[in-house]
Amino acid sequence: MTRYLLGQLVSLVLTLWVVLTLVFLAVRALPGDAATIMGGIDSSAESIAEMRRSLGLAATLSDQYVSFVGDLVQGDLGDSIRERRPVTAVLLDRLPVTLTLAAMAFVISIVFGLALGLAAGLRPGGFFDRLTTGFATVALSLPEFWFGFILILVFAVQLGWFPVLGLPPTGLSLRSSWHMLLPAVTLAIPRAAQLARLGRARVLEERSSDYVRTARSKGLSAGRIGRHIASNALPGIVPLLALELGGLLTGTIVVEQVFGLPGLGATLLGGISARDYPVVQGVTILAVVIYVGVNWLADVTQLIADPRLRAPA
Amino acid sequence: MKHRILIALALAAVVSLASAQTLTMAMAAQPDTLDPQVTSATAAFQVSKSIYDTLVEVGRDGVIAPALASSYSVSDDGLAYTFNLVTTTFHDGTALDSADVKATLERIMAEATASPKRSEFMAITSIDTPDPSTVIVHLSEPQPALLASLASGWGAILPSEKLAEGYDFGNAPVGTGAFVFESWLRDNAITLSAIADYYLGAPQVDEVVIRFVPDPAIQLLGLLTGEFDVADTIAAADRPTVESNPALTMVEEPSGLALVAAMNTRRDYLSDPRVRRAINLAVDSQTVLDVAYGGGTPIGTFMEAGSPWLPADIEPYGYDPEQARTLLAEAGVPDGWTLDMPLPQPYDAHIQAGQMVQDYLREVGINAEIRIVEWGVWLSDVYGEARAFDITVIGHTGKLDPSGRLDGYGVESGNYTGYDDLVTADLIAEGARVSDLARRQEVYGEALRRIHDAAPFIFFGTPGRAYATQANVEGFWITPLLDSFDFRTASKN
Repeated sequence: MTRYLLGQLVSLVLTLWVVLTLVFLAVRALPGDAATIMGGIDSSAESIAEMRRSLGLAATLSDQYVSFVGDLVQGDLGDSIRERRPVTAVLLDRLPVTLTLAAMAFVISIVFGLALGLAAGLRPGGFFDRLTTGFATVALSLPEFWFGFILILVFAVQLGWFPVLGLPPTGLSLRSSWHMLLPAVTLAIPRAAQLARLGRARVLEERSSDYVRTARSKGLSAGRIGRHIASNALPGIVPLLALELGGLLTGTIVVEQVFGLPGLGATLLGGISARDYPVVQGVTILAVVIYVGVNWLADVTQLIADPRLRAPA
Repeated sequence: MKHRILIALALAAVVSLASAQTLTMAMAAQPDTLDPQVTSATAAFQVSKSIYDTLVEVGRDGVIAPALASSYSVSDDGLAYTFNLVTTTFHDGTALDSADVKATLERIMAEATASPKRSEFMAITSIDTPDPSTVIVHLSEPQPALLASLASGWGAILPSEKLAEGYDFGNAPVGTGAFVFESWLRDNAITLSAIADYYLGAPQVDEVVIRFVPDPAIQLLGLLTGEFDVADTIAAADRPTVESNPALTMVEEPSGLALVAAMNTRRDYLSDPRVRRAINLAVDSQTVLDVAYGGGTPIGTFMEAGSPWLPADIEPYGYDPEQARTLLAEAGVPDGWTLDMPLPQPYDAHIQAGQMVQDYLREVGINAEIRIVEWGVWLSDVYGEARAFDITVIGHTGKLDPSGRLDGYGVESGNYTGYDDLVTADLIAEGARVSDLARRQEVYGEALRRIHDAAPFIFFGTPGRAYATQANVEGFWITPLLDSFDFRTASKN
C-alpha cells in the first residue's frame, strides 16, 4: 500500500510538471501580453514596448521558463503583474472564498443527491424515482448561470432573503458566510442531479444481485435490505465524488461570475484577460494540486471503505 | 446606573447608524491598480478620482478649471506654466507643497516608472519650486495639451515622501482626495471614507463603497433590491425598466465617445476612398446608435458630437444605399466581396453594432464575416501591429484635448486604419504645438474635414453616458470626457 501511495505521489509531481509547462506555454501563446492590455487603445507603440521591458516580458521564452521553474521549486510562484504582489498572497486571499463555496456545494449535493438517488432506486417507478428523473433532466440540461439568475430573482429580488451579490464589501467572514448559500445551491444543483442519477443506478444494480434475492427470500424487512444495498452501493460512488469535486472547481468559475464572488475563478478569468501570466499559472497549479490530491484521497478512502482492495496482491 | 449607561450607548449607536451614510455604487469594470501613473485603464481613474486630486480638473461644462492649483498662468511663449498651490494635506498627514508636484511629475517622466502616459510629459525640461506653494514647469516647445494631461487621472499628485520610499500606491493609495482609501477586495469591493477637512469642503456621504459587478443584469437586480445606489452600466434593453420605476432615476450625461467601425485602408478595395464612403452611406448610423447603443447623435468625422473642436459644417454621411451601390460599382467592387470583421468581446454593444453593419453591407452586396475575439486578442491582433482585420467596431473614449484623439492619424504606421495623408498629419502635428486657440481650432477643423472625406471609419456617433441611481441620490456626476466618478457632492436624501 505504501508503495502504491508513493507511486501516486510520483505521478502527482509528473502531472504537475506537464500541466504547468502546458499552462506556461498556453498563456504565452495567447495574442497580446500584459503590456498590450495595460496600454489599451490610447498608448503609443513605444510606451507599450517600454512597459513590456519594465514588466520583464521582453525576456526570451526559454529564459522565462527557466526562471519560472527555478522559482517554483523554491515555492515561489512569482509576482502578479496586475496586483504587483506575490501570487501566493493573491491565492491565499482568494482560496477561502472558493473553498467555502465548493465545500457548501459539495455537502448540499451529497445530501440531496444521494438521498434522492437512494429513494429513487429503492422504489423504481415511485414518486421519488419520477422526481429524481425529472430533476436530473432539468438540472443537467440547463446551464449553471440560469439557475443562479432564477435563485437571485426568487430569493433576493422577490423575497428579499439574500443580497444579490454573493458577499458583502467586507468579504468572507463567519458572519457573512450565509450570503453564500445561493451560490452554493446554484453550484450544487447539477452535481446533486449527477449524484442522484448515479446513486439510483448503483442501487438498481445492487437490487438485482444475488445477496438481495437471498435476503428477500429469508424474509428480511425492506428497511434492512435497503441498508445492505446502501452500504454496498455507496463505496462505488466515492471515486465519482472526487470527480465531482473537480467539476465543482470548474463550476465555481461560472458561479463566482454570476454572484460577483472574489474567489479563484474570478482571479483566473481576470488573470487571463489581463495576461497576468504568474496568476494564471498559480491558480492552475493550485487547482491541479487540489484535484490530484482529492483523487488521491478518494483512492485512500476507497481502500478503507472496501476491504477487498486491501487484500495483498 | 448601569441601565442608564446601556441606554445611552444604545442611543449613541442608533444616532451614529442614522448619520453614517454609505453610498454604494455598482461598477462593471475594475481597476488594475490604484497607482495612477502605471495604468491607462479608465476604470482605474474612475475610482482614483476620489482618492487623489490633480492640479487642474474638468468641470461639468467640460472646461478645465483650477483644483490643487488655485490659480495658474502660462507664459506668452507657451514655454512656462506657473501653478499656485492650495493649502491641503495628504491622507498620511503631510502637507501638500511644490516638492510633491515636482516629485510626481518627475516620476511619471522617469523611464523606470514605465508609465503609459509618459510621452505626454516629455516636453518638460525642468520644474522649479521657488517656494512651497509655487511650481513652475518649463517646456522645450509649446504643448497646449499639457493642462489636459494634468487634469486627467494620470496627473494625480502624490506625496513626495512616500514616492521617495517606493511606496505601493497601487494597492494602498494615498492622495489629497475627498475620500481616504480604506480597503480593496479585488473582484468584490473598494471602500472609501470621506475626510472632514477636504479643501473644497467635506463630502455629503460618509462612505463610498464601489462594488464590482460585471454583469449589467445583476447591476439592475441590485438596483431593484436597493443594494446599489448607483449602477454604472445599464443595457439599452433595460432602460425602460429603470425609467418606469418611480424609485429609480435614469441619468444620461454627454459622453466623449466616438463610436466607429474602423476600416483597414491598406486592404484591397478598402484603399479606395470611394469604397469607404460607400460603406458609410450603406449603414444607417442612427439606427445602429438607437439599437446597439441606446441612442445617440450621429457624427461625420473622428470627433465626438458636441465637441468644441468639431466644425459645424461637417455633416454625417447619412443613409443612402442607392448611392452606396453606385459608388461601389464605380470602384469596380464585385458583388459578394468578402470582408473580415473581428469584434471585441465582452463588448456586447460593439458586437451587436457589428452584426447590424453585416446586415447593412449585405444589402449592397458586401459579405462581412464576423469573428468574435477576446479583448486582449483584439488589442494585439486587430489594433496592434498585426492589424489583421478589414473592418471592426470600437468606441474611442473621450479626450480632454483633441491631440489625444488625433495624434498618429495621417501617418500610415501611426494608426490602426493605416490612414495615410501627409497634409492631415502635418495639420495634426501643428495642432499639438501651436498655443493660439483660434489657430488650433482651424488646423484641427481642417484635419477633421479631411478625415471626413477620406472616411477611414464608418462614423456612427456619440451615445449618452447612461447610468441609473436610486431616486434619492443627488449630486453624483460623471466627469465629461474622462468618464470618472465624482462623489464629492453626492448625497442620499
